[in-house]
Amino acid sequence: MVRESSEDNIVEPVALPLSEQEEWKDVTPLEQEDSQFSICPIAYTDGYKEMMGYMRAVMAVGELSERAYELTGAVLKENPGHYTVWVYRKKLIEELHLDIEKELEWLESIAEMYPKNYQSWHHREVLVSMLLDARVLADMPQDQQVCHPVIRRELSFLANAIDEDSKNFHAWSYRQWLVRRYGIWEQEKVFIDTMIDQDVRNNSAWNQRYFALVQGETGSKVLVDDGTLQAEIEYAVEIIKRAPNNESPWSYIVGMLLRHAPEKLYDELLPRIQQLSVDASYDQAVKSSPFYWSALVDIYESRAAKEDADAREKILDLARSACAALATDHDPVRMRYWEHRQTTLV
Amino acid sequence: MAGDLAVDKHVRYFRYALNMLPSSMAQLDATRMTLGHLCLVGLAALGQLDTALSADERRGMVDWIYEQQVQPTGDNAAYCGFRGGSLFGPHEACSYAASNMANVAATYSALATLVLLGDDLQRVNRRAVIAALRHMQLPSGTFAPHPGTTESDPRFIYCACAISTLLDDWSGVDRDRATEFIASCVGVDGGLSQAPLQESHGGHLYCCIASLHLMGRLDALPDRSRTLRWALMRAGTGYQGRVNKPADVCYSFWVGAAVEMLGGHEMVDDDELSKFTFQCEGAYGGVSKCPGAKPDPLHSALGIVGLGFFRPELPRMSPALLLPEDVVERLTLARQAASST
Repeated sequence: MVRESSEDNIVEPVALPLSEQEEWKDVTPLEQEDSQFSICPIAYTDGYKEMMGYMRAVMAVGELSERAYELTGAVLKENPGHYTVWVYRKKLIEELHLDIEKELEWLESIAEMYPKNYQSWHHREVLVSMLLDARVLADMPQDQQVCHPVIRRELSFLANAIDEDSKNFHAWSYRQWLVRRYGIWEQEKVFIDTMIDQDVRNNSAWNQRYFALVQGETGSKVLVDDGTLQAEIEYAVEIIKRAPNNESPWSYIVGMLLRHAPEKLYDELLPRIQQLSVDASYDQAVKSSPFYWSALVDIYESRAAKEDADAREKILDLARSACAALATDHDPVRMRYWEHRQTTLV
Repeated sequence: MAGDLAVDKHVRYFRYALNMLPSSMAQLDATRMTLGHLCLVGLAALGQLDTALSADERRGMVDWIYEQQVQPTGDNAAYCGFRGGSLFGPHEACSYAASNMANVAATYSALATLVLLGDDLQRVNRRAVIAALRHMQLPSGTFAPHPGTTESDPRFIYCACAISTLLDDWSGVDRDRATEFIASCVGVDGGLSQAPLQESHGGHLYCCIASLHLMGRLDALPDRSRTLRWALMRAGTGYQGRVNKPADVCYSFWVGAAVEMLGGHEMVDDDELSKFTFQCEGAYGGVSKCPGAKPDPLHSALGIVGLGFFRPELPRMSPALLLPEDVVERLTLARQAASST
């Protein structure tokens, strides 16, 4: 059956309704039931209704067949949130030993239509895990790892997704899964540098920077060596210069130092940002950035904790002044917060 | 005061959505339970729930919800609870157990909606619901939404905690493990994420803080003031969900409610926040994620609840349970009465 498209005279093939297809002759569609006051009923199209009738019929008996597999694809294209159908499709792939490469191609079409659908990203994890065992890459040097066809394709897929939406939470989350599972840390550092360079305000990239720095390790025992911390301080300050009113590098460097080397806040970060605040090229922008003043509060508060009584009060006064400056001039929307902070600093 | 909410228009919007959604929303066919929940929350947040629906409608909705309850059949313990819609077909036709699954988000929405509609939860198979929860918790302490997926995150921890609170039964949740997992999600910036080392995010902030609150474990936060500050830094004209992202009205609940639970109510510039919500009101009712976008039930309900934290003329809503405080009180009293007999 064919029909002409009015737009550009292309004749496109249209599938017969399932009820008219020979292949489905033996199946009686299973209807859904909704009582009179059903909640949020949807005005289904006839096509959707029919497709779902057949999907229900085969799933209800757990039919393991190619036609069931094809039908799950059609259903998920219309309704990618149909959670049982994702589970069923996975089962069909496993039981029927279906082609995973082809499945990844299909999945890309879903990702294009629905870039933020949770299930599709997790389906991808399962497929890639089936396709490539982590042990295969374990002893390979890093530059060879990224040449492995599966890895290369995933990195390319992710680059596209992130290019479409540079802060797609699912894409960055999937990246963490991929990098951690296959240990491809070196290329990740390069990728992150590029992403931050492209957009210094991309907080997802900054978050990924910390992730890569600690190589996915968590817990209180995670150590970051001194050389790395110094390098990161320099890096953060360089990026701050490009846009002092950008929360990300401030949040990144203060947070990291607080966790790993709090003494460096006062000894290393403070002199560098103070230098910016008197440098004619940056002083205006830096001193009108709420993040500069907020960093001062954190730095002084952290330092005060180590001092004895007299010195502590002097340092806390500096913190209090910074809070006052924020409340009045530099972050008035949070005036009440900064006033509260000012009075509760100890 | 920035202005007045167009209450009548919003009531019409929610009633309309409850009554029928367009075919383009087939994508949400498996989440009708949550959509309904949000519409009713929206009506409750406007103080219009009793007047917007007739007793027949309310009874009918309660019945429809119970029709989505997946009962134990002998081989489906992990699938029990409430399913997200009727799209799976009649229960008795589903001989293949995995074709008919509940999920924790739908179960939470079902219970919350039943409570909003004044139901006494007598027809809920509590044992089956709680037993299914046990199956959904991972060794790390987080929760999956349903069997057969690698998905797991704080949204489902929250659903599990809310279910446990509504049914007053915590035997389905290992609270120590859940708390440990949440604590591991605190980032270097003090924010909360989906999993350790992922980007701090307002939605997960809410789910983590509300879970801790419901479990009575807020003291597990390593530095509560830093987390509160992360949340407050998201405020401007409206709330953003992540650093350097544009404001989105749903965060006036996700982040706003977290601020409430962390004791930051007095520190918020509510005029500035409210301004944004009013900019997001739709011309025909409902609230959209940002000015000029199309309204939807989620942004409508959450925008109104978020605004309501600063509007004494609107009903007080529980930040931890997304239910009116008087409904929560009623539940608590009923529970106390039951346990003293």
